[in-house]
Amino acid sequence: MTGPTPTHRNETAGDRFDPITLEVIRHRLDKIAEEMQATLLKSSCSPIVKEGLDASASLFTLDGTTLAQACAIAIHLGTLIPAVAAIIAKFPVDQMREGDIYILNDPYCGGTHLPDFAIVMPIFAGAGQNARPIALAATMTHHQDVGGKTAGSVPTDSTEIYQEGIRIPPVVWARAGVFDETLTAVLRLNVRIPDIFIGDLHAQVAACKIAAVRLGEAAEKFGHNALLASFSVLLDRAEAMTRAALQKLPAGTYRAVDFLDNDGIDIDRRIRIEVAVTIKDGMIHFDLTGSSPQVKGPINCVPSGSLAAACFAVRAITDPAIPNNGGCFRPITLTLPEGTIVNPRAPAPVNARTATIKRVTNTMLKALAGVAPDRVPAPNSGELLVMAWGGQRRDGRMFVTGELLAGGAGAGNGFDGVDAIETDATNCMNLPVEAMELDAPIRVRRWELVAGSGGDGQFLGGRGQLKEYEVLEDVAGTMSYSHRGERHFVAADGLAGGKPGGLARSWITRADGREEEIPSKIVTRLGPGDRVVITTAGGGGYGSPESRDADAVRRDIADGKVLPAIVDRASTSNSGS
Amino acid sequence: MTGNTTLSTGAVSIGIDIGGTFTDVVCVTAAETHILKLPTTRDDPGRAVMAALDLLREHYAIAPASITSFVHGTTIATNAVLERKGARVGLVTTKGFRDILEIGRQIRRQMYDLNLRPETPGWLAPGARRVEVTERIDADGNVLEPLDAASLAAAIATLAAEKVEAVAVALLFSFLAPEHEHQVRAALEAALPGVPVSISSEVDPVFREYERTVVTAFDAYVKPVVARYLSNLDSNLAKAGVAAPLQIMQSRGGLAGGEIARQRPVRLFLSGPAAGAIGGRTAGRDAGLDNLITIDVGGTSSDIALIDQGRVLVKSETEIAGYQVRVPMLDVTTLGAGGGSLAWIDGGGGLRVGPQSAGADPGPACYGRGGREPTVTDASIVLGLLDPAYFAGGTMTLDPALAWQAIEERVARPLGLSVEAAALGIHRIANAHMADGIRLVSINRGYDPREFVLVPLGGAGGLHAVPLALELNINRVLVPRYPGVLAAAGLLAAPIEHEVSGAFLTAIADAKIADLTDALAALDRRADTLMQAERIQGLRRERLTLADVGYMGQSHYIEVPIDLAASDALGNLYRAFESAHQRLNGHKTNAPAKIVNLRVVHRAHRPPVSVGAKPSEGQGLSLKGRRSVLFPGETVRIDAALHDRALIADGERLVGPAIIEQTDSTTLLPSGWSAEVTGGAALLISRSPS
Repeated sequence: MTGPTPTHRNETAGDRFDPITLEVIRHRLDKIAEEMQATLLKSSCSPIVKEGLDASASLFTLDGTTLAQACAIAIHLGTLIPAVAAIIAKFPVDQMREGDIYILNDPYCGGTHLPDFAIVMPIFAGAGQNARPIALAATMTHHQDVGGKTAGSVPTDSTEIYQEGIRIPPVVWARAGVFDETLTAVLRLNVRIPDIFIGDLHAQVAACKIAAVRLGEAAEKFGHNALLASFSVLLDRAEAMTRAALQKLPAGTYRAVDFLDNDGIDIDRRIRIEVAVTIKDGMIHFDLTGSSPQVKGPINCVPSGSLAAACFAVRAITDPAIPNNGGCFRPITLTLPEGTIVNPRAPAPVNARTATIKRVTNTMLKALAGVAPDRVPAPNSGELLVMAWGGQRRDGRMFVTGELLAGGAGAGNGFDGVDAIETDATNCMNLPVEAMELDAPIRVRRWELVAGSGGDGQFLGGRGQLKEYEVLEDVAGTMSYSHRGERHFVAADGLAGGKPGGLARSWITRADGREEEIPSKIVTRLGPGDRVVITTAGGGGYGSPESRDADAVRRDIADGKVLPAIVDRASTSNSGS
Repeated sequence: MTGNTTLSTGAVSIGIDIGGTFTDVVCVTAAETHILKLPTTRDDPGRAVMAALDLLREHYAIAPASITSFVHGTTIATNAVLERKGARVGLVTTKGFRDILEIGRQIRRQMYDLNLRPETPGWLAPGARRVEVTERIDADGNVLEPLDAASLAAAIATLAAEKVEAVAVALLFSFLAPEHEHQVRAALEAALPGVPVSISSEVDPVFREYERTVVTAFDAYVKPVVARYLSNLDSNLAKAGVAAPLQIMQSRGGLAGGEIARQRPVRLFLSGPAAGAIGGRTAGRDAGLDNLITIDVGGTSSDIALIDQGRVLVKSETEIAGYQVRVPMLDVTTLGAGGGSLAWIDGGGGLRVGPQSAGADPGPACYGRGGREPTVTDASIVLGLLDPAYFAGGTMTLDPALAWQAIEERVARPLGLSVEAAALGIHRIANAHMADGIRLVSINRGYDPREFVLVPLGGAGGLHAVPLALELNINRVLVPRYPGVLAAAGLLAAPIEHEVSGAFLTAIADAKIADLTDALAALDRRADTLMQAERIQGLRRERLTLADVGYMGQSHYIEVPIDLAASDALGNLYRAFESAHQRLNGHKTNAPAKIVNLRVVHRAHRPPVSVGAKPSEGQGLSLKGRRSVLFPGETVRIDAALHDRALIADGERLVGPAIIEQTDSTTLLPSGWSAEVTGGAALLISRSPS
C-alpha cells in the first residue's frame, strides 16, 4: 500500500492569506474536533469509550485529507483516513446530500477491527440552492459488542473474521436525514446489546452534527470561499513544516526487527516485525517487507494500524509544534506486503491487532533511534497485558472483570525509564486492588515493581510489575480466565550499550500446588485457591552499565530497584500468603 | 494614599491572598475599602503579610487591635511541593503493596513525547522509606489478618533509621475499617515523638488505594512546613497586636481556623484560584446575577470557573505540581493563555500565541528586564490599551518602545504587516484561544456559555472581557469593583466550612434509610467536632448532605444532594443522579445505581462584608483624559475617552468606545457596548441597544 500522495502546493493562496485569520481558523478547527470528541465521549454509553477513551473524531476536506482530529489515544491517529477514503470512493462527494450519513466497519475496506464503526457525514454551508458541501465530519468508536462468537467481540481464539462479529461495508445509513430502518434492524439483530450499540452510533452522529453546526458558523463568519481556501493553506503549511523537519534528519535507510510472542494458537512460532525506514528529500517511507506472513490467530493487523503507527512515529520525531493535520501525513508512505501480518488477506481474523500496532510502532521507533537520538529512547516493553476473568458466585450472581497491565518504559540519554507505564499507541488505566476486590471474588495478594527488571545501563529501563491474584471460595465451580501477554520470549532491547529489559513471565499455582507456566497467551479455567502470578516486562536500558553514577547505584540498591544477585522469580510463587 | 491621624476603632476585616508574584490585600472598614498590592516575599511569605499590616497602619490608620477578621489564602503548601522543600516522608503500607505510590494508574499525560517522565510522585517516599506491615482487611471491612506487632516494630525501626520527618500510613481497605491505621499511628507516635503522622482513613477515606495513598503522602509531606508557617504567622500577628483568629482558605472554597488547617494541610493547595471564584460569585450575587463564568487572566495562564445558580462547581480531583491528587477543590480550569504568552512565527510562516510564556522573569519585552520576545501584554501596549506609566497597581512602569520593537522584529516584519496590525493579530489569536477554552469548559460541564455573564478578574481580565463576550455571544460582562485583587476580596466572602466524607458502598435499591441516617450522623459528629474547634458563635449555620452516586459497574460517580427527611429519599436521590448524569453526559440509562461515598458539609456564614467604595460625588466627573487607542476588532485608531473608575457615579452610563482605568486593572469598553454601576459597586457592561 502507498500512503497519501503529496498534492500540488498552492503558493499564491498561501502568500495572500491573512496569517491572523488563518491561525484563528486553525485553532477553531482543532477545537471543533475537540468538541466533537467531547460530544462523542459524553453521549456514548459504553464503558470502553467513557473510560478507555477508545474513540476519535476528525474533520476532513472533501478529498479525504484530515483537517483536524481529536483522539485521546494514539491508536486512533489517522485511523479514519482509510475509512473516509472508502466512503468517498464509493459515494462521490458531489452526489452527497445534506443529512446523509455513511457507515462502515469492514477492516478489509476502510476499517480497523470489527468493534470500530466509522460514521461519516458531509457538512454543507449555505442555504437552499446555494448549499454545497465544504467538508466531511467523521467519528470512530470502539463498540462494546458487535456480535460474533464471544461477548465483547474480541475472541482471542478466532481463526476467521466471521467469528468476530457483524461486518458492514461502506453503505448509506441515512439519506438526506432519513435513516434506513432496514439497515438499523439488521444491525440490531446481530449484536448482543442493541440499545447500547445503536445509542453509541447515534452519539457518533451527534458528534458529526455538532461539527456541522460549528463549521457552518465558521463559514458564515469567514466566508465559504475564504474558509475553503484556508484549508489548503493550512494543510500545505503543516506539510512544509513536516518536510522541513524530516529534511533536518540524516537521509538514509534505517532498519529494525522485533518479535511478537505468538498468535495464541501456534504457541511456539514467534512473529517477526521488520521495518526499513527511508528518510530522503523530506519524505519518510516505512517498508515492512520481511514481516511474518499472516497468522491463524487474531493478531493480524490491517493497513490502518501501521498507518497509525507511522503517524505516531513521525509526530514523535518531528517538531511537536507542527499543527496536527493531514499535511503532516503527506510525506509518509508505507509498503505493507499483502498476505503478511501487517496487511492480511480476508478472511483472516484481526480483533486483537492492538499488540501488533504496539510492536510495529516500537519497531519503527527502534529503527529511528539513531536518527533522532534526543527524541527516541531505548525500546519500551511495548506490552499491554490483557486479562479477563468471568464466572458465577455461589449465590448465583455473575461477575466479569478485566485488567490491562503495562510494562516498563525505555531509558533515554539522561533519564531512567518510567516503571510500569503505558507507552506508544495505547493509554489504559490499571485496576485498583480495592475496585477489583469489591467487584469480583478475587483477592490480590501482592502488587509491586519487579526489582532488576529494568534493562541495566547508565540509565535504567523502567521496571515491570508483579501482581498476584487468588481465586476465593465464593466462586461456584470454576471461572474462565484469559491472559494475552507479550514479551514473554523476546525482550525489549537496550540502546547505546544499555541492556535489554527483563522478560515478562506468568504462571498459575493451582490450589494443590501444581505450577503451570503461561506461554504468553492462554485461555483456561481457575478454581478456588488457584493463584495467578503475572509479571510484565521491563524497558530497555541506555548506555553502558559501568558508567552509571555511583550514587545512583547506591540509591538503586537502597530503594530496591535492583538486586545485587540474580533474582529467582520462581521462588516468589510460594510467598505472599 | 492619604494618612489619617486617628487610628480607626470600628470592625475591620482583612483578606490577604499570596500569589506567585503579588501579595494582594483587601481591607474593609465600616467606612471604606483599601486595597494594596505588594511583591510576594518568596523566601518567607509571612514577611509581606506583616509589611501589609504596617502599611495599613501607617497610611490608613488601621489599628491592629481593631481587626476582627483576618483571612488568609496561602501558596505555602504548593510552593513546598514545587520547590521540593517538604518533609522527609516515610510510607507505611500493607505487606505486598509497598510500590503502590510509584505504580499509580500507569497512564501518561503526554501522548507524543517518547521521553516519558514519571506520572506518580514516588519521590515523596522513595523505596528505602517505604515499609510494610503484615495485616489485611477484606473488601467487606473484616479483618482477614490482624496487625502483626513484630512487622510493625521492624517497620518503625526502619523509619527511625531513615530519620523520617513525617509519616503517611495507607493500608488496604482502611476506609472500611480504620483500626489498623489507628494502631500504626499510635505506635509511631509513641516511638517517634514529634513526627507528625497522616493516616489515609482520615485524610481521604475513599476507595482506590493509589489515589488515597498519594493524597495522604502529600498531606504528610507539607504538614511540618505548613505548621511552621502558620504558627510563625500566628505569633507574629499576636505580637503585632492582632487579636482576631487567623483563618485560612481551603481549596474547596471554605475557611478553616489556622489550628485546624494545619491538621489537614493537603486541603490548602490552590486556595488562590478558589478564592477568586468565590470573589466572582459574591460580585455576581451583589449584582443580582447568579449564572457566571469567571476568567482570571494572569501572566502565564488564565483560570476559568463556572458558577451555576450561585453555586461554584466542585471537582473531586485536582492537579498539584503536575500530579493528579484526589483533594476536593472548586472546579477551576487553567488555560495556557495569559498576558505573558509569547507570540511567535512557526516553521510554516503562521502566527502563533503561546503556550510558552515569558513568565514573570524576564516577562514581556515592555517590562525592560531583557525579554526580547513579544507577548500579549506588549500587544496591549502597542494598541494603547494600557497606560505604560501605571501598571500592576502602580508597582511598575512599562517601556512602549521595547514592545513596539519586539513586535516589529519578531512578528510584523516577518509577516509583512504593520506593527499595529501584528498587535491586533496577537490579541485576536489570544482572545480566540481563551474563547475556545471557555466554550469547551462550559460544554464539557453541560452548559451553554451564552446563558452566562462573563466576569473578568485579574489585572488583565478587563482587557479581554468584551472581545471574549463577542466571540462567545455573551451579552453581559460584570466587572467587580476590584477585579485585580478579587481573590483577596473573595476571602472575606467565604464561609467557614468543614467537609467530612466516608465510603458507603451500597446499591441504591439495597440501601436502608436507617443505615444512611447512622452513617451521616457519624460524619456529622466529626464535622461538628471540627466546627466546635473554630469557637464560633452566633453565625448562621448550614448543613449539606451529599452522596457520590454512579451506575452499577461505572467507575465514575457524580456528587448529588441527599435528603433523608424527604419522603422517598432514595427515589429523589436516584432522580437527582439521573438528571445530573443527563446534563453532564448527555444521556441517562435508567440502569440501577449505587452510592459510593457520603459527605457532609457544615458551614458557618459570616456577616457579609461589603467590598464597596465611597460612591462618586456626582455624575460626569470620571472623564480624566483621552488616549489614542486601536481597539481590537477595529481598523483605525481613535481618541478614546479615559475614565477613572473611582469617579463613575451610581446611575451614570458610559458608552463605548472608552477605557476605564483603576489602580488594579483596566477595562475596555468598545463601541457598541455601554457600562453602568450596578449592585455591589460592580460595573455591568452590556451590548448597547441598537
